[in-house]
Amino acid sequence: MDFSFTEEQMMFKEQVIRFATREIVPRVQEHDLKGEFDFQSFRKLGEFGILGLHFPEELGGSNADVVTSVLGGEALGEAGVDGGLTLAYGAHTFLCADTIFAHGTDAQREKYIPKLATGEWIGCMGLTEPGAGSDVASLTTRAEKRADKYILNGNKMFITNGPIADIAVVYAKTGKNLEQARISAFVVERGTPGFSAGENLIKMGVRSSHTSELVFEDCEIPEENLIGQEGAGFLMALQTVEWDRSTLLAPFIGGMTYVLNKCARYAKERYQFGRPIAEFQAIKHKLADIKIFIEAARSLCYRIAWCKDQGRPLNHLEAAVAKLFVGDWSLKPANDAMVLHGGYGYCHEYEVERYFRDSRLAPIGGGTSEIAKRIISRLI
Amino acid sequence: MDFDFSERQGKIRDEVRRLFTPDSRFSLEELENGNDVLIRSSALHWLKILGRAGYLVLGLGDGRNTVELVAAQESLATVSPSLFLSVEVSARIFGRLVAIYGTPDQRAQLLPALGEGELIGTVAISEGCMSLENNPLSTTGVSFGQGFMLNGSKSHVVNAAIADWIAVAGKTEENTAFFLINKGTEGLSIGQRLSTLGYNGTAITTITLENCPISSKYVIGPFEEGQPLAALRTWEDQILTAASLGSMHRCLDAALVHAKNHKSGGKPIIAYQEVGFKLAEMLTLLQTAQLLAYRAAWMAETDDREAPVLAHCAKIFCTESAEQVASYALQILGGHGYLRGNPAEEGYRDAKYLQIAGTSSEISRIKLGDTILEGE
Repeated sequence: MDFSFTEEQMMFKEQVIRFATREIVPRVQEHDLKGEFDFQSFRKLGEFGILGLHFPEELGGSNADVVTSVLGGEALGEAGVDGGLTLAYGAHTFLCADTIFAHGTDAQREKYIPKLATGEWIGCMGLTEPGAGSDVASLTTRAEKRADKYILNGNKMFITNGPIADIAVVYAKTGKNLEQARISAFVVERGTPGFSAGENLIKMGVRSSHTSELVFEDCEIPEENLIGQEGAGFLMALQTVEWDRSTLLAPFIGGMTYVLNKCARYAKERYQFGRPIAEFQAIKHKLADIKIFIEAARSLCYRIAWCKDQGRPLNHLEAAVAKLFVGDWSLKPANDAMVLHGGYGYCHEYEVERYFRDSRLAPIGGGTSEIAKRIISRLI
Repeated sequence: MDFDFSERQGKIRDEVRRLFTPDSRFSLEELENGNDVLIRSSALHWLKILGRAGYLVLGLGDGRNTVELVAAQESLATVSPSLFLSVEVSARIFGRLVAIYGTPDQRAQLLPALGEGELIGTVAISEGCMSLENNPLSTTGVSFGQGFMLNGSKSHVVNAAIADWIAVAGKTEENTAFFLINKGTEGLSIGQRLSTLGYNGTAITTITLENCPISSKYVIGPFEEGQPLAALRTWEDQILTAASLGSMHRCLDAALVHAKNHKSGGKPIIAYQEVGFKLAEMLTLLQTAQLLAYRAAWMAETDDREAPVLAHCAKIFCTESAEQVASYALQILGGHGYLRGNPAEEGYRDAKYLQIAGTSSEISRIKLGDTILEGE
């Protein structure tokens, strides 16, 4: 066993923290408050190289391994970047771009990845539907083959980056009838007739990410927009789970470190009963519990990332364990951080309430905690 | 980065596991109702076997908590919590004290027999007040001829009733020393076994020292304030962390077997989400605890500056998870779990010891909090 990072990885993490602190964090609060996507920051992430980190250099990436990608995400959180922007980055890079990169043709890769890696284009993934969440197989969006085109009909729901995306990776059922239909994945470009996105949904947290419905009404796309083979979409969707359980969770964990540092500073500055509240045992206990969560969660996510770097097939049990732990066990420390700040913690200015709201997505997004428990109980 | 065991780490884990047949595991369960004679004979029997497998000398030389050590400990703790505690107190606490702080003569006299499992040792630290954080030791050794005259009493001494040697922590004027006392030494009285909530297969007793003469060649130290008491506490915390992993394995295994075989409404109860989801949480706690425990060990092994922090994180998380996992296991086992003599009820009772002994959960959190505040 070896839990060390390479020197390069640690240097990279420090660079990301410095970059994000300087270039992104100053605008985070405003965008969260207004519920606006920060296009400028997103492009800066692209310029810095975060958005395409693990893609090959010839496609605009840096050839980074998965562990480094997780470190990058953790660093963004640790610097104080909000969960909205990091979610937008996760959906863009790992759920959209990586699916094209991993399963698409050379032509698709060359067409889309460089633009996505730089942030020139924004991507999203359309899997969830109004009536199909974790039960992916029950999705009803159809893609009917007609000559050299596919005709898409259906609705997608809760799609991160939906209203702002230039391209969407969309999962739909192909086949002659619904009984025999299998899930396939397609690229749909913005502006394609019949494709539209709904209004940005007003959410509790991750507010700077835009989320909407996607609507497909006799939406015609060329057959070359099929990703991989017909019927291979279900496996593609499953493979995003590895990213979801590592890179998409990492910013939450990094964010908890940011919050912990804020808590420690506040506890030393805030005086009650003639002494800093840092001297009270109950405060120290809260700090300790936040720290324990961070260290426990980190190992789980890095294990998923490391296994992916080794080229191992996805271990669904370990992935579900990581998701369940980060989701459910993050709630108390996030709450502790807010309570530690008292009335100030309830106010937007102190940021911990933002983290509290953002972290509420962890047990819901990308498969609920209940689904994680269901997976574990079936595999155990 | 590498989340797999090395060949050496995996080998010792498997070797320890293979030492115990189903029959021997069954006989170890009798320890829970055993008297001191049974506990001592059983401990000596297994110490010799573990000694031949190289278990007893792990981490002895440098006192480091290593991944290899935790791998071996996790296997033994899964077999028998009580045996594990007896063995660890003898080999790792008493053994390391002698190996690292003892004189060459003390090492030569005690370590070979200890490593081969021929003798049982223990260390007596706690006194009536239990916590040493805010209370100085009251056991004292006063210069007497070529040695010391020791007076005092110790509580909650694991192995005291079965030990050949007891290292007693006490004061010599202002400094701390350990006095090595052979069983049968004049002035040493071993109290009755304490009736404890858990770890019933471990001989936990009080000891009293009344004008107990100790030759200076059997004194370790004296030391400046804090050392090696701090080291002993670190070793103890690591043992309790590993014990928690073992307890969780036992509880999860028992609950899983029951959930897959016990039927209700015509189907195994694991098919019900209220059972299946509990098992999911139990496994999540176990896997998370394992990663924390091994990462803490790896940090100690590599002298990482965060090692003490991770050790506290691991101690708190693992010992508290052990209680939660045992509680869920009890619930899943239902009436069967409530009967004396199964891993769930045993784990539930043992868990409190894990949280109280060593650095308690509360003190660990204070230490963690202090470290975090210092860093800001």
